[in-house]
Amino acid sequence: MRRSDRGAAWFLAAALRRLLAASGLAKIDLDGLCVSSFTLLPDTAVSFTQHVGVSPRFLEWLPTGGACGIVALRRAARAVQMGDASVVACMAGDTANETSFRDLLANFSSFARDAVYPYGAGGPNASFALIADAYMRATGATREDFGKLAVAQRANARRNPLALLQGELTLAHYLAARPIAEPLHLFDCVMPCAGADGFLVMKEARARALKLPFVRVLGAIERHNAFPDDPVQLRGGWAMDREALWSQAGVGPKDVQLLQTYDDYPVISMLQFEGLGLCPEGRAPDFVRSNSFTIDGSVPHNTGGGQLSMGQAGAAGGYLGLVEAMRQLLGQAEGRNVPDARHALVSGFGMINYDRGLCSAATVLARA
Amino acid sequence: MIRLQRCAVCGFVEYPPREFCGACLSDDLAWESAASFPGRVVARTRLHHSNEPRFRARLPLSIGLVRFDLGPVAICFLSEAAAPGDDVQVRLGVDDLMEAE
Repeated sequence: MRRSDRGAAWFLAAALRRLLAASGLAKIDLDGLCVSSFTLLPDTAVSFTQHVGVSPRFLEWLPTGGACGIVALRRAARAVQMGDASVVACMAGDTANETSFRDLLANFSSFARDAVYPYGAGGPNASFALIADAYMRATGATREDFGKLAVAQRANARRNPLALLQGELTLAHYLAARPIAEPLHLFDCVMPCAGADGFLVMKEARARALKLPFVRVLGAIERHNAFPDDPVQLRGGWAMDREALWSQAGVGPKDVQLLQTYDDYPVISMLQFEGLGLCPEGRAPDFVRSNSFTIDGSVPHNTGGGQLSMGQAGAAGGYLGLVEAMRQLLGQAEGRNVPDARHALVSGFGMINYDRGLCSAATVLARA
Repeated sequence: MIRLQRCAVCGFVEYPPREFCGACLSDDLAWESAASFPGRVVARTRLHHSNEPRFRARLPLSIGLVRFDLGPVAICFLSEAAAPGDDVQVRLGVDDLMEAE
């Protein structure tokens, strides 16, 4: 929802309640928990165990922003694989109101507080505008390229009843929107909202025994503070680990039928296309121009509408693409299922600590 | 005057300010002062929205990413004429924004 007077814990508890109801599991069956949230503070995952009355033997508090869903999945899968937990609930959630958002921006990090926010208080729009400006100069990307992604996502959102933004968006509307932080305009920016997302991680045998629908994790990577000497961020950390990802997965970029990127701004989706090997570095503009990104397009991308059309529920934005990929692979994306989707590539990107996003992550999921 | 920290052990120049060297982790940092430090504009934006009321009255505001010749990058207010690729001087002053309050 757009705004809420409820606290972050309410949204997280609602996600947990639904995970339990959908799986038929009881709280006592959960022995692992991964939580991410900005507005839960001063509480953390530790506090949340007491709020909801669970006693996990594996617990993660993951402040990795837009990478938190994949990072949670990666940690949870390893814990289950090694026997440190048998069922891990992974979730992220945040509330949203005028005060929570401004306080979050002003104190996002010590570097942001000291050396970014005092320069006009533009928040992430300003930081990503600088990255977008540099990216456009370096690659020749245009507003039309960014707009093509935003327009396709809106078309996808119109088939998703959970998307907050459902109005038709044309390229003409996109281009005519008011500027926010040039070169970014209104439809380049996500709308903050309140909400939560979550999923369960367990061994395949357990899921079968419980008769639960499931997807397989074929591989997952994360990297933090990659390429610190780049004067401006024109690449995330994926380039350091993508070979490992595709090698773990046993498939390549051409074998995925679904792509979910972290779209806090379309330019960041383009960095992910390059970083994950869908196109060469610096060539995402060509990739955008020669493909289509709607559900029935050549590259079905952010098929639920992404954050640009569903809204950004704080840390839950880092789960959005992952949950949508799971729904698609399970055939549960009602009215918008990509036919014959067998593999999905999901990536995450998070935490503008100072001048760049520090966390990069990606995973390949497969239909069971 | 504008000040930047320089590590007394390895010479690395730090920004934003911190309590230890980001390169060698020594905590022996000294301040280096100058009327201005030279740098080059890496990227720029013009803000049309601000989250703080005190800035809203002064929109649009130009800010940029400037790389100091000494190494680190800083987010700065930019003059209207400064474009990416330009060599600039970064100074600290009581700026118009604050005086106008």
